[in-house]
Amino acid sequence: MFHLMPWPHLPESYAGPAWVKCPNAFYDGRRGHALYNRYLDELVRAEALGFDGVCVNEHHANAYGNMPSPNLIASILARQTERMRIAVVGNALPLYNPPLRVAEEYAMIDCISGGRLIAGMVVGGGPEYYSNGINPAEARERFSEALDLIVRCWTEPGPFVHTGKHYKLRYVNPWPTPVQKPHPPIWIPGAGSYETMDFVARRRWAYMGIPYFHKRIFKRNFDYFREACAKEGYAASPEQMGWLVPVYVAETDARARAEFEPHLWYFARKLLPGINVSPPGYTSPRSALKMLGAFGDFMLNVGSWDEIVDGAYAIVGSPATVRTQMAEMIHWLGVGNVLTLLQLGTLPADLTRRNMELFATEVLPHLRNEIGPRAAAS
Amino acid sequence: MPARRIVQVAGKDVRLLTGGDGPPLLYLHAVGADVDWLEIHDRLARHFTVHLPAHPGFAESTGIEQVDGIADVVLHYVDLLGVLGLRAVPVVGASFGGWIAAEIAALYPERVERLVLVDALGLWIDAAPIGELFGSTPPELAEMLFHDQDHPLAQMLRAMTSIADVPEDFAHAQLKALEAAAKVGWNPYMHDPKLEVRLRRVTAPTLVVWGREDRLVPLVYGERYRDRIPGAGLEVLPRCGHLPAIERPAELAEVALDFLSRT
Repeated sequence: MFHLMPWPHLPESYAGPAWVKCPNAFYDGRRGHALYNRYLDELVRAEALGFDGVCVNEHHANAYGNMPSPNLIASILARQTERMRIAVVGNALPLYNPPLRVAEEYAMIDCISGGRLIAGMVVGGGPEYYSNGINPAEARERFSEALDLIVRCWTEPGPFVHTGKHYKLRYVNPWPTPVQKPHPPIWIPGAGSYETMDFVARRRWAYMGIPYFHKRIFKRNFDYFREACAKEGYAASPEQMGWLVPVYVAETDARARAEFEPHLWYFARKLLPGINVSPPGYTSPRSALKMLGAFGDFMLNVGSWDEIVDGAYAIVGSPATVRTQMAEMIHWLGVGNVLTLLQLGTLPADLTRRNMELFATEVLPHLRNEIGPRAAAS
Repeated sequence: MPARRIVQVAGKDVRLLTGGDGPPLLYLHAVGADVDWLEIHDRLARHFTVHLPAHPGFAESTGIEQVDGIADVVLHYVDLLGVLGLRAVPVVGASFGGWIAAEIAALYPERVERLVLVDALGLWIDAAPIGELFGSTPPELAEMLFHDQDHPLAQMLRAMTSIADVPEDFAHAQLKALEAAAKVGWNPYMHDPKLEVRLRRVTAPTLVVWGREDRLVPLVYGERYRDRIPGAGLEVLPRCGHLPAIERPAELAEVALDFLSRT
């Protein structure tokens, strides 16, 4: 189960972006106190309900997801849960200088949790480069150098010297080091840039497709990823691909839509605007044009419920409907990891709770049988 | 028509357009359209042999991966002057190119014979921040760059309200140009905090030309350049935005040529 920890209190009248320039006067720490604790309860509860894991991620200066440090949340989960995986997908490596901080904090979470961390590494969303001043035209270089350095921290005895283009460190010797050997699993989320998919394929790590696109965009990206793996001389395993999707289950299709639809539109109309900025050099012009071309297939530009259903932007309905649609999608996309967003936008605590329960009891066991025990529904 | 050639500068390809008769002149272009040969270059070429190189990463020029900041661009142009066998030249620099020209004139004053800065980037004034070049939509850019919103280029930008309206080769060239500009000027944003105090080193007679209605780099920056460069003058062009080379080529050529021909 994936959680964004969104801000559900943007004023009705506000029509600006949710990113970079969304006035932080809209934030209220007292409401934030209630919200963080509610969202943490939801994530902790996922374990008792039988989920394989939970996912959190990093965003800055926005109303869409209020975890500028997902590691803080993950460290709480490491202590409050016992069995499930904790996936941080991920830390935006170019924003950490030196990136040793990521190696250290991830190792702490892995130690506290007893080896349950999934270490996500991201370039970071386009808006983060406006909010943090890091040069987006250096983003790929910094990401690549930082990632190599972090893996080296976990696999090579310290102290050692690192002399890179962006980071120069005389003594690299981080304490602690992770429980999992050689290192925690690495997941790389991406929105379909060729550079990221080629990179993940080359390293044989796992690629997570970023959601809110029409299903044909997911399909195209996973097909490209499989080809990229084939070019590297191996067949991609389903576990190397993750599909992240909003899901809502209620007793009937009609009830599911009635309960979920207003919250989905708050998400699409209030929290997505501004997420799609692509700063210069952040991807190659070739990838940027491809991603801009896909923008018509992005949830921000979807106007009707029928389009949501047809494009599988969200899977919404009775347990039977959700079972069928998700099974079809899993087979069609060929993915081995399914990351469900069971809270979205303004979806309140009671509906989120029932959604999680219905999904866990009526859908999850079926998907496990359908896909086989190896397919993990996080 | 100018001659087009590719010259090698320290392992980088430089697309160089050269046209006209007379003594040499180096024209350093902005982030936008004046990387191509325009009316302004024709007008200057009546009196000078105009060299119009594309900056690293622009047009067919390569080598942006060797550029990590403004100093690399300055050295690149000093190297180019060497390749062209030019000791000291008059330099006209517009916007981004004006920033580069000011840096060359401050760091290598002996290489710049006369200096014309046109709506130049390169300085920073807290009270008048430079407009958002990277995060703006094409219609917002039109508003910042042009006084005459009916200028054909302004009209084209204003019509680009979705990516589907942007011709792919134009979009590709723009993305490449912005990436190259970001390599140099993302942060500190389109300026060099050291430049302002270094401007006292400029020895070239200098004319600062500014579009009065420039909303990307407001006129106060032109006044700051005039105040900091010893003996500099300021010519303000009315009814003109950030790109005099595109919006007022005849007036820009007239004031520039008048200044450049003084002895």
